[in-house]
Amino acid sequence: MIIQIKNLYRRFGKTQAVDDVSLDVEQGEVVVIIGPSGSGKSTFLRCLNALEDIDSGEIIIEGHRIDRSHKDIHRVRLEVGMVFQNFNLFPHLNVIENVKLAQKVVRKRSDDVAHRRALELLEQVGLGDKTLAYPAELSGGQKQRVAIVRALAMDPKIMLFDEVTSALDPEMIGEVLDVMKYLAQKGMTMLVVTHKLSFARDVADRVIFMENGRIVEQGSPAQIFDNPAIARTRQFLTSALGDQ
Amino acid sequence: MTAIYNFNIFRGINDLIEWASQQLVIYIDIFKYLLPAVPKTILITVSSFVLALALGLIFGLLRISYRKPVRTLAGIYIDAIRGVPLLVQIFFIYFGLGAVLNLERFTAGVLAIGICYSAYLAEIFRAGIEAIDHGQYEAAYSLGMTRLQTLRHVIIPQSIRIVIPPIANQFIAALKDSSLVSIIGLRELTRAGREYYSQNFTDFQTWLLVGVIYLIMTIGASRVVKWLERYFAVKGFGTLKA
Ligand SMILES: Nc1ncnc2c1ncn2[C@@H]1O[C@H](COP(=O)(O)OP(=O)(O)O)[C@@H](O)[C@H]1O
Ligand SMILES: [Mg+2]
Repeated sequence: MIIQIKNLYRRFGKTQAVDDVSLDVEQGEVVVIIGPSGSGKSTFLRCLNALEDIDSGEIIIEGHRIDRSHKDIHRVRLEVGMVFQNFNLFPHLNVIENVKLAQKVVRKRSDDVAHRRALELLEQVGLGDKTLAYPAELSGGQKQRVAIVRALAMDPKIMLFDEVTSALDPEMIGEVLDVMKYLAQKGMTMLVVTHKLSFARDVADRVIFMENGRIVEQGSPAQIFDNPAIARTRQFLTSALGDQ
Repeated sequence: MTAIYNFNIFRGINDLIEWASQQLVIYIDIFKYLLPAVPKTILITVSSFVLALALGLIFGLLRISYRKPVRTLAGIYIDAIRGVPLLVQIFFIYFGLGAVLNLERFTAGVLAIGICYSAYLAEIFRAGIEAIDHGQYEAAYSLGMTRLQTLRHVIIPQSIRIVIPPIANQFIAALKDSSLVSIIGLRELTRAGREYYSQNFTDFQTWLLVGVIYLIMTIGASRVVKWLERYFAVKGFGTLKA
């Protein structure tokens, strides 16, 4: 098990954002999390990367307990890459510098090594000709591919994707999903929050339906999409498929 | 009559020329006297501003520390210094501390202005850092960067663009406030002006010229700032290709 989560709780005021979630993820598994807005999907993902405090429960990644108060928490974060809905590229750095920065500062790679790694990955996602562009000069799809490459350049063992296509124009969604599919095929362990149910069906090993901070139902894509056991899941899928 | 009248006009013009050339001689004399003091004014301003930038950045960062006592202490420093007139701080450092620590005039003057302006700059830095979107921290943290690395490589470079105009205003204010240290006998521009007029009693011309020299320096400074703003605006924000 690369990720073990036991009885995770996280509350904001009166909102129980993550409510007793337990989950084990295997090496190379692709887990897609679906659920209505406000169901705690983002909070849950952010806990895995220690961007969020947890109230109780336990998260163990590759044998290391995730503890936000721990002094070396940034070391554990190294193994977990994250891609956000709003890209969060560094606007003052060009594309290649965006990808090189943490490699140099955190992984202590030489400029040369970081540069080659960045270039290799950028070429893989079709951005070999955009290395000197600044984020403001890129389309949404290009930005998101840079953000994925920036995370990958750190050689993480796990990748977290939080609605990474939600801020994109429809014609750009495909190029980003293609990169994610490619990663999944290469055996990356991935947790993906998305509204793209077709992506979940094609790529997921497991689909989790979350609501009110709880895992309502989980199973293979076929189970969840074709034969959901719980009425609430069925109801959500009907309305979500209507939006596609 | 006509001839006399013409003669008077002629005399009038003649007087005017004579008056003007006398004035010119006075102004040139004053200018010669003041000019050597200009580098001192610049030196005081630049030295104290460098000190203010360093202290201001430190206290600005302490002000947003995640440790509450540190934040509180930095807040007290900033509020205390902003609440006391610079002139009083100059007296306190030169006559008060200076007597104990044996500070020279120059050191005391630079310390006083530097500390005073550090409080204003700290607030500017704090605001500039807080203006950066929280997603930038999250992206940096998720890449394994520490808080300090994030500030240094991600947040502060973006804040610079925001803080340049207000910092420039502070620099110009510090340039003008440097005249206050003339009171502890530092021979900068204002002091030189006082010395000149007390010897020659040309109040009007002396202070006019002192004022004009300050004006030229502040205009020059704002020119440099305009250039800096353009330089930093281009970097990374796609301003060139709008
Ligand atoms: N920083 C926060 N402060 C207060 N409430 C929050 C915060 N983050 C999330 N929440 C609340 O927690 C719940 C779950 O939010 P979130 O994890 O963003 O859901 P999702 O990603 O599924 O839309 C929501 O009710 C949201 O308003
Ligand atoms: Mg969300």
